[in-house]
Amino acid sequence: MSFTPVLRSEWIKIRTLPSLVGSLGAVLLATVAFSALGAVGTDGTDPLFSAFFGVGFGQTAAIAFGATAVSAEFHGGALRLTLSAVPDRGRWFAAKATAIGVPVLAVGLLTGPLTLAVAGAVSGATAPTWTEGLRGTLGCALYLTLMALFAAGVAAVLRSGVATLSTLIPFLLIVSFVIGDMSGGVADFLPDRAGQVALHSSWDGTLGPWTGLAVTVLWAAAALLAGAWSLRRRDA
Amino acid sequence: MTSIDVRDLTKEYGGRRAVDRLTFRVRPGRVTGFLGPNGAGKSTTLRLVLGLDRPTSGTATIGGRPYTALREPLRHVGALLDAQAAHGSRTGRDHLRALAASNRIPCERVEAVLEETGLAPAARRRVRTYSLGMRQRLGIAAALLGDPAVVVLDEPSNGLDPEGIVWIRRLLRRLATEGRTVLVSSHLMNETASFADHLVVLGRGHLLADTPIRDFIHARVRPGVRIRTTDGTALAALLARHGYDAVPTEDRGWTVPDARVEDIGRLMSEAGVPVLELAAEEATLEQAYLDLTSAEAEFAAQPQEA
Repeated sequence: MSFTPVLRSEWIKIRTLPSLVGSLGAVLLATVAFSALGAVGTDGTDPLFSAFFGVGFGQTAAIAFGATAVSAEFHGGALRLTLSAVPDRGRWFAAKATAIGVPVLAVGLLTGPLTLAVAGAVSGATAPTWTEGLRGTLGCALYLTLMALFAAGVAAVLRSGVATLSTLIPFLLIVSFVIGDMSGGVADFLPDRAGQVALHSSWDGTLGPWTGLAVTVLWAAAALLAGAWSLRRRDA
Repeated sequence: MTSIDVRDLTKEYGGRRAVDRLTFRVRPGRVTGFLGPNGAGKSTTLRLVLGLDRPTSGTATIGGRPYTALREPLRHVGALLDAQAAHGSRTGRDHLRALAASNRIPCERVEAVLEETGLAPAARRRVRTYSLGMRQRLGIAAALLGDPAVVVLDEPSNGLDPEGIVWIRRLLRRLATEGRTVLVSSHLMNETASFADHLVVLGRGHLLADTPIRDFIHARVRPGVRIRTTDGTALAALLARHGYDAVPTEDRGWTVPDARVEDIGRLMSEAGVPVLELAAEEATLEQAYLDLTSAEAEFAAQPQEA
């Protein structure tokens, strides 16, 4: 059995669930809206982050998207039907992850230029440079994608969207707002802190923009592998 | 032709044996009823056959291959396990389209099975608006999607209205006539009797019977004759002379166990005993089944099969 039909099937599943299409839209809307709000009150010390301030909110929608796309399979025997059509569980989960990652990446790539434009329009402070903007756009798209995949992996382990969201969202809020100021040390290596370095004009931690994203890649990969392992090991 | 072969199949959940060294074969061209009380291990066996659960030991194969080794399995085996498997926010058609795409089944098949199961008018509605009977039909539509040689249905008449029950009976008969292998689980005996040719009966994970349905009934229920006459005294005397027991019934008739209408009818006619009614007592599958499973039924508060 080849990969493409399975991927097509998973993509049909995603685009035919209104709540999933809605959360993809919410990624873009939340990011742009909160970036615009953030840009109004900026002091101009970090022009790039003031344009990408909303990613912290948009990621919630990306996480909800990744978690829900997976957890929809754990309701009422849906997974049994899915796996009776695609018995190769590893292949199925790879298709699912691709069908989650690609649309988030596309929405993220759209969100970047839009949030830059909107934040630039409402903010009086210095605009980020062109190269910073490009890095921010790529970083934003990759970051949102990785967080969606991270959530997808966690949801496959926990087998529940509610459990996943009620674990990840408070975790991210606490990390970002409570211990977020404690720069340096272990907090820098948490998935959101590491990945968001790419959204800043300057940084002073151990991780740069690309090394930071690489750390988030490791987090997402670990979560997906744990999810795949759990799927293969357990009875459906 | 494709058979389902179950050999020494065993599944334990935390020390409890849900399925215990089960061996049977489901052959093509007939409907095999898969019977057993709740908790007997029917659904567990079906999940093992479909490669969804891993057996503790033993094998289950379809046409000689394990399910998980089938390329595009929906083209070989169609299964209905759970009518709630379709997501409530998706339309019936989209649910089937996603399933079809995974096994490269052309879109025309989606329309064909929607038509065949009578769901075409509801195809654009979200599944959450479907009645239980409609969800059951959607599950059956999904099972037929790949035009499979093997069809496995778990309690398909659940939630169907009388019209739906007649429909599924005809569908099962037709699938068998087309030479397919049809395995249908149920805990409803009389319902199963109306469509099955062959029976596999489970109790507490054990195989209790694997036999044609006629033999199953005849081996367990003694035939009898029901009689009504104007002259009960003459009848009783006549039957006693020929070694039969005549038992009076509440509605002033008689039943004669271990007798055939051919014999009793001739005797009564020769003796000139008036006959108002003479009928063979139909042995039902229900009686045979209760007789077989009464000792095996699991009434204890154990977890039931999911």
